[in-house]
Amino acid sequence: MSSQLTIQQVTTLLKQVIDPELMVNIVDLGLVYDVIIKEEKKAIQIVMTLTSSGCPLGDMIIQDITQVLGEQFKEYSTDVHLVWEPAWDPDMMTEEGKAALDGF
Amino acid sequence: MQHLASQNAPSPWVVVPHFIVGGLVWVLVTLLIITHPDSFTQHYFNPQLLSITHLLVLGWITMVIFGALYQLIPVVMEVKLYSEKLAMVSFASLVVGTLLLAISFWNFWLGISIFIAAFFLLTSVLVFAFNVYKSALKSEKESIEKKFIKTSIVWLVFTVVAGVTLAINLTQAFLSTPHIELLKLHANAGIVGWFIQLIIGISSRLIPMFMVTHNVDKTKLKTAHSLINTGLVLSILSLYLQWQAGVYLTVLMILSGIGFFLFFLRECYKKRIKKQLDIGMKQSVFSFAMLFFALFVVFFLLITTDLLSALTVRFSIALVSTLLIGFVTSLIMGQTYKTLPFIIWLHQYRGRIGKSDIPFPRELYSEKVSNLQLFFFALGFIIFFIGILALHELTITIGGLFLFISSVLYSYNTLKIVLHKAPDYE
Repeated sequence: MSSQLTIQQVTTLLKQVIDPELMVNIVDLGLVYDVIIKEEKKAIQIVMTLTSSGCPLGDMIIQDITQVLGEQFKEYSTDVHLVWEPAWDPDMMTEEGKAALDGF
Repeated sequence: MQHLASQNAPSPWVVVPHFIVGGLVWVLVTLLIITHPDSFTQHYFNPQLLSITHLLVLGWITMVIFGALYQLIPVVMEVKLYSEKLAMVSFASLVVGTLLLAISFWNFWLGISIFIAAFFLLTSVLVFAFNVYKSALKSEKESIEKKFIKTSIVWLVFTVVAGVTLAINLTQAFLSTPHIELLKLHANAGIVGWFIQLIIGISSRLIPMFMVTHNVDKTKLKTAHSLINTGLVLSILSLYLQWQAGVYLTVLMILSGIGFFLFFLRECYKKRIKKQLDIGMKQSVFSFAMLFFALFVVFFLLITTDLLSALTVRFSIALVSTLLIGFVTSLIMGQTYKTLPFIIWLHQYRGRIGKSDIPFPRELYSEKVSNLQLFFFALGFIIFFIGILALHELTITIGGLFLFISSVLYSYNTLKIVLHKAPDYE
């Protein structure tokens, strides 16, 4: 019997997904609003936003998330749900994110 | 699924040819500066300068702007480009029209060749305008950025129609206003109405995005839009009717409008989260400093000379050079590093994420080369500018030489980006 997936495990993996323009991962940028794990359906849902609605890298980031989670958690499907409310604000970044952005 | 700009992005092969041809024309322009410095020390209505100017504004600036706009429409308007085929028709017409016009001006052929060139240029511009108009119709999003872009295209059409009218008037004079004054009207509509307004529209969307700036007050942009467009309409009337007070008034209105835009940029810069500027943004900051400098040149013109007299010739050439080379050209070169690598990167690495380590878009070009390019550009432009003011041909040639080195470095990096191939991971 396999152990249950935790939000912590998913979030840690999501830190591998980098915004190529800002060179900071999406978790520290504050783009990930929620991680929902549906064990009964073997599904992971990521509720997230982008830094701006016209962000030209949107589907690349979504593809990256699906790829990274899919490779690690093969028995789960991944669904990325993009939302614009609440709109992303720099205050949503973690301290690590702000420090990383300063470095570039 | 949500509207995503990258899903709406056109094929790179619609965008990339504009950058390649544009870059080569910019190299050609710098070579012509080196070999024909005398064209910058005479009255601006001379065949060589007319030819060089049109190569610069059509073959380089408009060419790259068309290409970039096809990529940026999905970002600014959040819709797909209406037609890629029409974009290629517009591109081909622009190449043929520009080359033919430049050759005709150079040899001062004012007959059939200039009208064939005008036909191709009108076709290119009208097809482009139709394509953007149809794309904008699909966009539900209303914004001041979109309004700037739409208005700039109206001015582009006006500029080309005015240019064709000028060509007809040159062969068979039918307008009572002196030809030189009509030329100012044509240049004003093109530089302020088309280039500057389009740049304001695009950069007010991209600069906050690249600098990660939020909550910037857009009232300044709305004020800028009203001042610039009211000023432009009045300036066209004043120049046509030779009303000098009107010319002064409208220059002040346009300058104030540009000033409001620069204040908007200043706020973006101050509130930015991304503190360090990459090479693309450094070049962009340099170019906006050049725009600010151009405002001083205009003030100098207003205070010291009669705007409608021939005494303004060298300052007029210096001003137009500052706007077209110092400002627009350096901004295009800077923003190339912010857009072109992403276009190629998205194309090459789509579907390869997670399979192997992939480079970042900024790794597709040499940063060392782009730094050198900026250095030679800044040095070259300053020397070139001094040469124009001093009416000194050798100084212009030396400035042109540094600009040429800069243009070659830019083309090298552009080709390096365009020719980048993702390694075979399998």
